[in-house]
Amino acid sequence: MPDLSAKIREVVQKMLREQEVELVIGFEQGSMPLHSTPCFIRNEEDAQRLVWNSFCDNNLAKYLVKRPEKVAIVAKGCDTRAIVELIKEKQVPRDQVVIIGIPCQGMVDRRRIEAELELNEILEYEEQDNKLTLKGDGFTKTVNRDEYLYPCCQACPHKNPTTYDILIGDMVAEQAPDQYPDIAEFEAKPPEERWQYISGEVNKCIRCYACRNACPLCYCKECFVDKTHPQWIGKTTDTNDTFIFHLMRAFHLAGRCVECGACERACPMEVDIRKLNRKLAADVKELFGYEAGTSLDQIAPLATFRPDDPEEFMLGV
Amino acid sequence: MKAKVIKKDDIAGFLDSLLKEYEVFAPVKRDRLVVFDRIHSGKEAFLNYTTSITSPKEILLPQSETLFTYSSTDSAADVEVPSGEERPRLIFGIHPCDVKSLIFLDRIFNEEEYKDAYYLGRRHAMVVVSMGCIKPRATCFCTSVGGGPFSTEGSDLLLIDIGDEYIVQVISDKGEKLLGKAHLEDAGEDRLSLMKRVTQDAEASMAPKLNIDGLKEKLDKMFDDPIWDLLAEKCISCGVCTYLCPTCYCFDIVDETRNSGGERLRLWDSCQFPLFTLQASGENPRPTTKERYRQRIMHKFSYLIDNCGQIGCVGCGRCVTECPVNLDIRQVLTAISNR
Amino acid sequence: MKTEVSGWEPKIVAFLCNWCSYAGADLAGVSRFQYPANVRVIRVPCSGRINPFFILACLQHGADGVLVSGCHPGDCHYLSGNYSARRKFALLKRLLEYAGLEKGRVEFSWVSASEGGRFAEVIAKVTEMVKALGPARKLVKK
Repeated sequence: MPDLSAKIREVVQKMLREQEVELVIGFEQGSMPLHSTPCFIRNEEDAQRLVWNSFCDNNLAKYLVKRPEKVAIVAKGCDTRAIVELIKEKQVPRDQVVIIGIPCQGMVDRRRIEAELELNEILEYEEQDNKLTLKGDGFTKTVNRDEYLYPCCQACPHKNPTTYDILIGDMVAEQAPDQYPDIAEFEAKPPEERWQYISGEVNKCIRCYACRNACPLCYCKECFVDKTHPQWIGKTTDTNDTFIFHLMRAFHLAGRCVECGACERACPMEVDIRKLNRKLAADVKELFGYEAGTSLDQIAPLATFRPDDPEEFMLGV
Repeated sequence: MKAKVIKKDDIAGFLDSLLKEYEVFAPVKRDRLVVFDRIHSGKEAFLNYTTSITSPKEILLPQSETLFTYSSTDSAADVEVPSGEERPRLIFGIHPCDVKSLIFLDRIFNEEEYKDAYYLGRRHAMVVVSMGCIKPRATCFCTSVGGGPFSTEGSDLLLIDIGDEYIVQVISDKGEKLLGKAHLEDAGEDRLSLMKRVTQDAEASMAPKLNIDGLKEKLDKMFDDPIWDLLAEKCISCGVCTYLCPTCYCFDIVDETRNSGGERLRLWDSCQFPLFTLQASGENPRPTTKERYRQRIMHKFSYLIDNCGQIGCVGCGRCVTECPVNLDIRQVLTAISNR
Repeated sequence: MKTEVSGWEPKIVAFLCNWCSYAGADLAGVSRFQYPANVRVIRVPCSGRINPFFILACLQHGADGVLVSGCHPGDCHYLSGNYSARRKFALLKRLLEYAGLEKGRVEFSWVSASEGGRFAEVIAKVTEMVKALGPARKLVKK
């Protein structure tokens, strides 16, 4: 993973100096090893805080909605896809955002690394080319970055920004388009088994809504969970209500979810959230030939129709 | 203080004997995470952990509980309150920071003017067997808020890991009685020196204390300070910090109706949710993350001190490690102290 | 899991669009076409009005099956409501079945105002399918 921190700082400083934007949203070093954190830069001096590493996993597009000022944003491939959808949904005027696109080689799954090290806490880390060196009390471990990518990064079909104003770093080779083999594999299981699996996952949920709040495409002023007239679902962790929460949040993201994985990373209980989102993404691709965030011109699938849309699911009598 | 010793291999058996008399709650492993749950056999307890993901507060204050159910006919309404817990409860393997949170919650739900029957039903006669932290994490800051990795406050017994065995410090009469039938050996000099070394090493390994002297006084003058705009800018208003926090206790009460009956529920709520202070008029005094994050800090480090003489934080570090945007309360407190 | 509970009759909720399917149902009645009495009809202006939550709410509160029926593509009184519905339903049905809900619980059809006989057939078919599935257990709120 190339170290683009210096280049990013340079570009941002120029932007602020020339007053191209009033605010830049990027990443800075977090308060713990293996973490970076969103930062809001408004002057050249602060731009020195910006970093780029294997832990820049937040989807910063979250911070774009309802901004009065003109903003520049550091965006990986998936982040630019979210920005594209936000622009099409008229949540972000195109001329109010300057997209600093960064071709991404995938972000590292810190939870997996931490789980493997069990009680050995990582106190320092270094990143050099493809290697991560992790140090703690009485141990040093070096791992290959590529073997610890988040699941969403492993299958990522859009590492390069789909839209950008400035590109920092060289474009990377894209993988083959996602064929969703995990979905096919899951669908091959008997319905009861699938039900049990999803029920088991939603039973872990504590209804903290971190998934919803981390998602850049969840920006409703009033979320359906808070609706009381009528109340669609209860607010307890009852399996039934929580099942529907996850089902319907995924459904509300149909054709909009860019599979950045922010939801999964935010979830403290490690619920397998993307199991549902990926099914919808696969169906939207198959039925309507649409992939979220890849085109500023293509109309969102549920905002349009074709007279010959697929009907094979209809009751034929 | 009396100190006994118990082999790690004997813990499961000890728990099984306790299960005959108590409802026992202990840390258990769920996939990669540790949570507190009721156990039915000693083997289920998983003690080799640093911090459980959810705090043990959910044993006293479940995420949702039924206050009463009701059903109605044309002429009458029946209200049924769930019966209180009958069997005494025991919580095992809880860390001192989490024990401190039980004491904190007592001051909210069990005080002069208000005694919460539901909380008390669960807390009453609860025996606490805690476990010291021989490997505090870098994100633990209990010592900055009046706690410590081997604090005995609120415990009946405190276990300290010295290798293949635990030292069992007897803190209270309740704890002494608990050991009654276990016939544990007294901890001799050798073991006690080992314990001393282990505890000293653990305490030395903790991150330096946060300098938060005079924090309350500072906060009380800072309500309108522009620093809040910057401190909370990256907050996404999810409920993770409040839900995982052992001292957060705010709740919502809702009725869920079904035909001509229903139930009244008490659920966890979060001051970070946008709807927390939404009034029926549509007015919301805390419309953005700034007001809500400020509330969190002020409540925990100022208002609670005024209202019940204690800080609303035990330094467990859960909000630090689990915040999706790494909004670190330690950095916030330091920034305020340095203002 | 098929369980034949003796004497059990499924409850089926049918959302019918006012201009086509509801009128078709009305025609079925007037023409004395016989169809199972398990269905409870809810009239909506258009199949495009259906919020997926309506369907889920039915399943949560005691319905064993849900049918949504609208105008044939091209005949929508509001021009394109049924086209939107068609896309939503395609995704919803696939999602529900993926999550493990039995095939046959939630169905969609096009029935026009003149298809009284067809309406009766649709209801008969849906009732038969749901009867074979047994009472709905998944998604039922206790």
